[in-house]
Amino acid sequence: MSDVEPGVELDGLTVAFDDVVALDDVHLAVEPGEFFTLVGPSGCGKTTTLRAIAGFETPSAGAVRIGGVDVTGVPPEDRQVGIVFQDYALFPHLSVRENVGYGLRYRPPPGGGARAERVTELLDLVDLGGLGDRTPEQLSGGQRQRVALARALAPGPEVLLLDEPLSALDARLRQRLRVTVRAIQQELGITTIYVTHDQAEALAVSDRLAVMHAGRLEQVGTPEAVYREPASRFVASFVGDNNLFEGTVASVDPPTATAAGTVFALPSAAGLATGDAVTLAVRPEALRVGPGETTLEATVRSVEFLGETYRLHCAWRDRTLLVTADARLEPGDPVSLGVDAGDVHLLEGGPRADASLDADGRPAGGDA
Amino acid sequence: MTAATRRAERLALPAGLALTLGVLLVVFYFPVGRVLAEAVVRAGRLTLGPLLAVLRDPFYTGAAAGLLRDPLGVPAGVLGWLRAGAPPPRLGLFGFTAYQAALSTLASVALGLPGAYLLARYEFRGRATLRSLTILPFVLPSIMVAVGFLAMFGQRGTLNDVLRGLGLGPVHLLFTLQVIVLAHAFYNAPLVTRLVSAAWETVDRRRLEAARSLGASPAAAFRDVVLPAVRPALLTAALLTFLFTFMSFPIVLALGGLRLATVEVWLYARVQDLRLGEAATLATIETAFTLGLTYVYLRYEARQAASRAGGEPPARRPLFDGWATLRDPRRLGLLAYGAVVIVVFVGPLVSLLVESVTGPGGGFTTAYYHFLADQQLAAAAGTVKPLPAIRNSLVFGVGTLLVAVPMGVVVSLVATRGGRGSRLAEALLSAPLAVSGIVVGLGLLQSFVFGTTVFGVRLVLVGPVAIVAAHAVAAYPFVARNVTPALADLDPRLAEAARSLGATRLRSLTDVELPLVAGALLAGAAFAFAISLGEFSATVVLAEGVKSVTMPVALERYIGNRSIGPSLGPATAMGTVLLLVTAVSFVAIDRLGGRWAP
Repeated sequence: MSDVEPGVELDGLTVAFDDVVALDDVHLAVEPGEFFTLVGPSGCGKTTTLRAIAGFETPSAGAVRIGGVDVTGVPPEDRQVGIVFQDYALFPHLSVRENVGYGLRYRPPPGGGARAERVTELLDLVDLGGLGDRTPEQLSGGQRQRVALARALAPGPEVLLLDEPLSALDARLRQRLRVTVRAIQQELGITTIYVTHDQAEALAVSDRLAVMHAGRLEQVGTPEAVYREPASRFVASFVGDNNLFEGTVASVDPPTATAAGTVFALPSAAGLATGDAVTLAVRPEALRVGPGETTLEATVRSVEFLGETYRLHCAWRDRTLLVTADARLEPGDPVSLGVDAGDVHLLEGGPRADASLDADGRPAGGDA
Repeated sequence: MTAATRRAERLALPAGLALTLGVLLVVFYFPVGRVLAEAVVRAGRLTLGPLLAVLRDPFYTGAAAGLLRDPLGVPAGVLGWLRAGAPPPRLGLFGFTAYQAALSTLASVALGLPGAYLLARYEFRGRATLRSLTILPFVLPSIMVAVGFLAMFGQRGTLNDVLRGLGLGPVHLLFTLQVIVLAHAFYNAPLVTRLVSAAWETVDRRRLEAARSLGASPAAAFRDVVLPAVRPALLTAALLTFLFTFMSFPIVLALGGLRLATVEVWLYARVQDLRLGEAATLATIETAFTLGLTYVYLRYEARQAASRAGGEPPARRPLFDGWATLRDPRRLGLLAYGAVVIVVFVGPLVSLLVESVTGPGGGFTTAYYHFLADQQLAAAAGTVKPLPAIRNSLVFGVGTLLVAVPMGVVVSLVATRGGRGSRLAEALLSAPLAVSGIVVGLGLLQSFVFGTTVFGVRLVLVGPVAIVAAHAVAAYPFVARNVTPALADLDPRLAEAARSLGATRLRSLTDVELPLVAGALLAGAAFAFAISLGEFSATVVLAEGVKSVTMPVALERYIGNRSIGPSLGPATAMGTVLLLVTAVSFVAIDRLGGRWAP
């Protein structure tokens, strides 16, 4: 590792395919050594961003800088970037050792040691010491993933790019491997950009993350900030579950808003005036069974048992509310749902014409 | 790795593409374009006169000539024709060519479909072998097949020998339309079998089961599930067959002669008489037609590729089921089909071998093989020597490989890149498929063998170079056709992984992609070699004089030159040698392609 580790900077990056703009004026700075995640539904541009950083997409405008150096016109083989693909893309005609050593044909091993030693070192790092002579075909999915990681890291890249590396694995293995990936990343201190459509995964592993939607960055921040203070309707409904209410500011002092004929107490109305359109976001765990500062009278429609909690789908007015509950209720039971001002998150602006959100304000397609 | 090496590597692929386009431009587009230009330029002026003259001549266009000569008289003409009881209309040269192609297509479909049914639905020993044998006709030189047909169906051929043994009169098939159609079916029925059985096998068993569980009878399930999957393949095969047989040359030349001339044969005769202007006019009309057909075919095939379905095919039934085999009409039908296959496919090849060692009296002889060697020693200048012909064929074959394989790989790379540009490039690069060998040969002859002045420099390509160029143009589509699907099946991430690990585009090709498609690449190379070995049309035009004569050309000369013997002996001996060399290529294709092809 060098003294000043490089970060990645995107400066107005725009990528267009024929008439479709896949990335629209993206500005982003990834700190050196950071584990940064791009998360969003399929087609949001996250993989395009990754491919533009690796040099596989030519931007129609903007620049990519790695470690402060503009690499926009540099071909992929001359960028010091390691990439791990969703389906691993291991070379099937080469052994595990040859796969890991492939990049060392064209780049000297970092530190100047022998090629074979570097390969052994990397295989040990991913805990595959004894499997060097196998072919990729003889490995399990998790093992292939680790070979792909070792192969990407072997030439000592400045940046590690991970393109949905875990999505081909089953849920349990996915959880275990993401811990492994995170541990190796921290051990090496390598700048890492991780792409996933799984918002829970993004929240779990990242130092910071960016939520992408329709070729733009909707919000960049720490997992906690993005979860607690979503910056847009899209983020509010894509990251975790949310109940969204569209309404208008009823009064500024005390701060209240009217939505669907009901008055909600707000945490504050700073910067708002009476009559402004607002969207209220209330997490399922903030809607509790029992009365609150605002109480909604609803009817249980269906119940899911999730292990630690129950998830209620409640009919209220002409829509469905998601509620986290400690005890089972039966479909048809009437239920009072309480929400306090402190648990209401305010999103500016009213309803937006947004084809990717369904009637309840959740992303269509159920990617999340 | 030095920066200079990397720079050179980066330039390699664009340079390869430029070179490929250059070769095509020089040995295909320019010569063919020149032939076409010749048809519409007379004395430096653009004119449609010669084209219209041909189209108005009933000799060429038959009854349709009236459409252009006297458009107003058409209704009266049609009425008159109906009053006369609608006799068969006069076809003309073009009409006859299309007519024989249509008949050949029908015969190929009739002969090929039962084979597809057999391969797709029945299990028996040798099924895999039979399946791989269906590509054999592609690599058999057509002039050799023609000799085989002469040996089988000729006046003194095997068929008449057998009939005489049975006390039946001899049949006269030579120089009839029937034998031409049969020879075309020999070539194209296996194509029908191959394409249709492949489509049949993609029918997912679960879709049939779904149809049955929803109440469809077996016949209805066949109609609703199997037929829609098979029909596009059948249409594709029929279109290709029509295209091939429309442009077929050596078979018609050898089995029909000028009496049953098609456009190609007539064109060749014009070239031989050095009536090149008339030849150019004919070539233009023919090429317009075949290009149109190829366009339809490519459009149709592209649409079909998108809807190709995978899945688990239904289990195959055993073909032989003890004595019950003889009670099942379907199995009996297939056995009868087997007998037809033996007569049409095995007969000519075996007859070729037998005839080459059978003396005039019917006894065993090696005289014809001695003749091949003696001719070599005794031949005076001007006659066709066998050994140089064999040597020429091999040298041209290797030369073709060296040019066609890189060209094919480059075209495959362009074709698999996707996008509008690559489709255009692919079309541009695959146009040679649609132009007959005679036209290419004619163009090369006029442009380079006679010499062309470009920017004040006189360009002359010597015969052998022109021949290799023509062979390469004919052969590289087969390389591309083998390599493209294999490359397209590769995960594009593999190349990207190599790139991100520091490999240039060229290196990722040589390190990763080509090793992974090695089977398809070698199969394509074997195809290219076989195409070169068997190429007749362009070669016979370019091999004026005897120095560049190849085996197929020598073969044709031996058929025609009865002075060297009363029998087909020398031709069959030469044909056998050609068959052996081709068989080696075939084994190579089967070994390499069989392991990798779907």
